[in-house]
Amino acid sequence: MKHASIVKIKLIFSFATVFAVAAGCSAVEDNPDEGVSSGASAGTLSGVLAGGGASSQTAAQEAWRAGFQAANLDVTVDYDPTGSGTGRTNFADGGYAFAGTDAPFTAAEAAGSFATCASGSGLVEIPAYISPIAVAFNLDGVDSLRLDAVVIADIFAGRLTSWNDPAIAALNPGANLPDTAITPVHRSDKSGTTENFTDYLVQTAPTAWTFAAAEAWPAELKGEAAEKTQGVRQTIAATAGAIGYLDASQASGLGTAELKVGDGYVAYSPEAAAAAVGKSSLEAGRAAFDVVVDIDRTLSDGDVYPLVLVSYLVACERYADPAAGSLAKAYLEYVISAEGQQAAAEHAGSAPITADPALAPKAAAAVAAIA
Amino acid sequence: MSTQAPAPDQMSLSTSALLPTPAAAPDQTSAPAFAFAQVAMSASSHVPAHAAASPGGRVFPALTGARPAWRRRFANRFAAIVAAAGCLAALIPLGFLLAAVVSRGAARFDLAFITQTMRGVIGAGGGALHAIVGTVFITAATICFSVPLGLAAAIYLVEYGRGKLARTVTFLVDVMTGIPSIVAGLFAYALLSLLLGPGVRSGLAGALALSLLMTPVVIRASEEMLRLVPDDLREAACALGVGKHRVITQVILPTALSGLVSAVMLGVARIVGETAPLLLVAGFTDSMNLNLADGRMATLPVYIYSQWQNKGLDAAAYDNRAWTAALLLIGFVLILNLLARLAGRLFAPGAKRHARAS
Repeated sequence: MKHASIVKIKLIFSFATVFAVAAGCSAVEDNPDEGVSSGASAGTLSGVLAGGGASSQTAAQEAWRAGFQAANLDVTVDYDPTGSGTGRTNFADGGYAFAGTDAPFTAAEAAGSFATCASGSGLVEIPAYISPIAVAFNLDGVDSLRLDAVVIADIFAGRLTSWNDPAIAALNPGANLPDTAITPVHRSDKSGTTENFTDYLVQTAPTAWTFAAAEAWPAELKGEAAEKTQGVRQTIAATAGAIGYLDASQASGLGTAELKVGDGYVAYSPEAAAAAVGKSSLEAGRAAFDVVVDIDRTLSDGDVYPLVLVSYLVACERYADPAAGSLAKAYLEYVISAEGQQAAAEHAGSAPITADPALAPKAAAAVAAIA
Repeated sequence: MSTQAPAPDQMSLSTSALLPTPAAAPDQTSAPAFAFAQVAMSASSHVPAHAAASPGGRVFPALTGARPAWRRRFANRFAAIVAAAGCLAALIPLGFLLAAVVSRGAARFDLAFITQTMRGVIGAGGGALHAIVGTVFITAATICFSVPLGLAAAIYLVEYGRGKLARTVTFLVDVMTGIPSIVAGLFAYALLSLLLGPGVRSGLAGALALSLLMTPVVIRASEEMLRLVPDDLREAACALGVGKHRVITQVILPTALSGLVSAVMLGVARIVGETAPLLLVAGFTDSMNLNLADGRMATLPVYIYSQWQNKGLDAAAYDNRAWTAALLLIGFVLILNLLARLAGRLFAPGAKRHARAS
């Protein structure tokens, strides 16, 4: 009998442990401080602002979150780097209060309805992150190469297969080019980086590059496929003779190409990327607060780096949930402020849009329109 | 109980028929296989039973005549070397992995790493407290879901299940064991998206997805443990007039408890390193979230993934954090396993008898 009672005590003890854990689970569920619904009260913001989308913005978003949360201690901002397409879909379906995307909604899509927004509300799109895309390679003893769009198109289309090809040597007199085979590396996932890279080739080498500008790499082309920016970086770093394109902030340690612009060659830099955006015009046929840049990659000025990515933030003019609206407005105000843009420039190597006298006021006006 | 092997009836019948007295078989142990070997040998060679049981067994011409002693020794030595080499080959990658994780994780293995979150951190610094807490919370919630369900299913299969239904359940459990983790994550995501709207993220959803992976492991492992409980115990309890529910709760479960704890630990080890489903449904955040039911919750595997995948300009800081988090995750599994062994020892049926005797 004594035996049985000891067993019983131990059983009770072990079940009690399980229930204590279960009770712990349910106890924390009652915490009322979390959730968008708790919203803003006089002057101080609190709650959770959830957004997501373009992975190109991840490092910049990290800087923005840190700066914004330091100023608003009761606010938590989350950003899922799920990719531009997922970000736009989740924003349209009501999953995100704001989205980051390398490819803005088309004018027709922007005129539609979004579950996140109040019915009849317009769309706010602002360029928030301007970053050069580097053409990076792994070639023993070579740190920098000069390439033009036609040669890049030929390399990625598989027509140039060796690094000592006369077409490459002609652009790099005096460079010691080995006869290593060229391995082009591209993104396996849909990517805004791929879209901007192919758009550059379409605009500047239309005869050599016969494919469309798209987020997905042309399936008929050979080469190494790698996932996301880090995958591309690793594949290039591990493969002798590899060449690929990736966000310039992640290209340190790899050889990078200077691109032919007009008669000269330009290395990537935030300033040259900002110049490419500054000299382009805004896309026509957009609503007042739908600020989309139509990048002109055929500029021939010597200070322009045309292979540039502009990533957007998407929000609503009026939100279905006013609490989310006030949080989104405050966050976007911080993002496009001089402070926010400077934080991103330091941490992610982007070009501050505040340096652009045409773009910055338009973006500020769009954010001010969020109610 | 422990001195007599629970051999099938026929076997013990033939044993007793061949052996003149129980005393003539001095080596009769509790291993049924050995008893069977004795029976088979004595039946085929027609030698006296006491000789058959003698150690060395040189009286068998079938064993010694065909193979010379040197060959037997050689085969013995060869098999031992192959087994040892196989063991070594399995340990080498493990050793390299541990060495790599420890050496690279050491850089950030400091107090700040386990006391700070990533909130407000740009570049270097920060920690993984929020991810550690998230992993503990989500694992605990998964145990809340999986253990009662898995244990109940195992008890049904062992004690009640007969015929078509039991076979179907066993088959489905086997199928579920093979579900890829990403499918479990997609299921949980789809289910919660339908119920709560798109883009939903919560720790509870993560626990739901992980339960899908953990429950079949718990069922299979605890089913085996419950089957190990000797039938004699059940029969003895029934003979005393004890109801079936009390036999299960007071005889079978306590007897198998240490094995059941191991079964649960197997399940936990299966899910604690899962990344894909948590990435989908629990999401990632820089900040501490103590609310399982609402909002993103960081976990160690997802923390490792996001640190590696989303680096800023200072890439080394991100890599170091990822390695240290990997080290912590391995340590977490190690601690859980040690706790399980401790629990197994505490709850083992023999433990209290020894404790009372001493």
